[in-house]
Amino acid sequence: MIEERNPTNTWIVDDDSIYVYGLKKLISIKGINTNLSHFINGQEGINALKKANENQQLPDIILLDINMPVMDGWEFMNEFAKLKPQLGKNITVYIVTPSLDLNDIHRAKSIPEVAEYIFKPVKISQLTEIFSQTQYQTNERIRQYGT
Amino acid sequence: MSFSEKGKLSGDDIHLTPLINDLDTGIWKYNFNTREVKWSTGFYTVLGYQFNEIECSVNTFFEHLLYHGDKPAFTNAINNRITDAPPLQLRFLTKKNGYQWFETTIRKQDDENGSIVYGSLININRYKHNDLLSAHNQATHDDAFKTARLGIWEIDTQNVNTIVLSKQVYELFDLQNQLNLSVEEFISFFEPPYRPVLQNAINNTIKHSRPFDIDLLLRSAKNNMLWLKVKAVPVINHFGKCTAIKGIVQDIDNEKRKLLKLEQSINLLTDQNRRLQNFAYIVSHNLRSHTGNLQFMVNLFEQADAREEREEIFSHIKAISESLDGTIEHINEIVKIQTEITKERKVVELEPMFRTICSALKNNIEAINARVEWDFSQCREISYIPAYMESILQNLLTNSLKYSSPERQPIIKCYTLAEGNHIYLIFEDNGLGIDLERYGDKLFGMYKTFHNNSDAKGIGLFITRNQVEALGGNIKVDSTVNVGTKFTIRLV
Repeated sequence: MIEERNPTNTWIVDDDSIYVYGLKKLISIKGINTNLSHFINGQEGINALKKANENQQLPDIILLDINMPVMDGWEFMNEFAKLKPQLGKNITVYIVTPSLDLNDIHRAKSIPEVAEYIFKPVKISQLTEIFSQTQYQTNERIRQYGT
Repeated sequence: MSFSEKGKLSGDDIHLTPLINDLDTGIWKYNFNTREVKWSTGFYTVLGYQFNEIECSVNTFFEHLLYHGDKPAFTNAINNRITDAPPLQLRFLTKKNGYQWFETTIRKQDDENGSIVYGSLININRYKHNDLLSAHNQATHDDAFKTARLGIWEIDTQNVNTIVLSKQVYELFDLQNQLNLSVEEFISFFEPPYRPVLQNAINNTIKHSRPFDIDLLLRSAKNNMLWLKVKAVPVINHFGKCTAIKGIVQDIDNEKRKLLKLEQSINLLTDQNRRLQNFAYIVSHNLRSHTGNLQFMVNLFEQADAREEREEIFSHIKAISESLDGTIEHINEIVKIQTEITKERKVVELEPMFRTICSALKNNIEAINARVEWDFSQCREISYIPAYMESILQNLLTNSLKYSSPERQPIIKCYTLAEGNHIYLIFEDNGLGIDLERYGDKLFGMYKTFHNNSDAKGIGLFITRNQVEALGGNIKVDSTVNVGTKFTIRLV
């Protein structure tokens, strides 16, 4: 039986346009089944989350940068934690950053909503793993609840 | 000769003779007219001799018994006209113990037998020794306190307005006269910022019996600045209430100044350390971000087949190479703060410098039709590191131009203010402004950008703050969103 594969929703909250370009390119090359949306800072991301919650267009995955203007990754996580109880979906947040700073790593680990801390540049193997996991979860959910 | 032998005591006094001879006190008597000398048995005894062991004569007394140094005092005393002279302390040679201290009374009487002087002699050697010893101890203590530059003070809580000070305190305060000082006057010798500290400490000791130990800066009567340690403990009664404060003041100027210098070096090191951390931050965040992207693009390039795709990727690689160069330039600027601080300060003329910067940024100014005004009349020139000043002016002007409001004509004002001992450089604009409540602490941080400006680097204000602080000044910001921003830099 061939399983119907529903595309996952992936949000990139990152101000580094080259990285976003590369990520999009990589996803298309690898043929990963996901819809990508890009927000250039935390504030845009939070605004979009509120809107998407109403329209039931919430993402499955958020790839979050730390250093961004207007609202950085840490502030985004604060807002996200406040918003989380109202969100109709379990969203997995990955922090994706070039920072090797131990302070950043510890801080990320102390936030329960952060699934993982991933160093830029993202390895192809890491990326496929993230998406296959989410794909599996999405399919499971659809099988169980039909949505 | 003795009093009994010649029976010179007459009549009723005769029965006193054995009593006199029993005393541990010598009695002597001299008749000016007859030059006759009389000594009691006790006189011989107190000097350690047997009765009549030595010849009772003026010659023996002056040449043998009395210490030559004490002769003038004795002759003065017996020759002057005062009938009741005060007792004299003299040294006499004893038989076995060398010279010892004695005290003699001196009385005079004129009767039918002539002019007589007489007195009683007692050995005071022990008391005199104790006296001398305690005087010596006192001198030793004084010397020790003097060497330690240590003074003593005391406040009686029954009378909290006066303070009792030891001699050394007056010396430390450069006060010639040992005037009585009130506590308030005592405190007023310390520099103004330290006065409330001392007053509170004293109040606390009186109220809560709390001892204290504080370092305070004194301005002495001769205008010498001196660091003193002021230490005190309470004296308490049976009910635990403080009845007095006993304290010391000690000159710790040398040590304190060394300590302060050390603290200064530590601050300098902390600053340099912070800059190093910033350096590491750039490497870990920005350099890595660029190299990561570069790696990413190169990988994609290898996987891409289509020509247009490859060209697109290559254009990104070019962009990365430019960003990389920019980041290296930032690192260079931060390193420059470090190296340029050792350069000599020079007199910087502000107006010509500002004009040069304006003309360099002419295109940017004209592009947004900004009006740039300046007024350096309050301070035209300043001793500064020229490269810093240039960088500060340029950064702030660029900043104002970059974050101008598109809704109105940008007006940028730059001027100097001289207030008190300080000189301020003010930079004002009517631009976008910034939400200080939200970003205030990050404004001068590195790689912090707050607007979605593509050319925001987040390095300008960071460098500016470092340059200003490196020369001992500070920078403050006032801002209202959509009204404008005002930077106030205290240059010196």
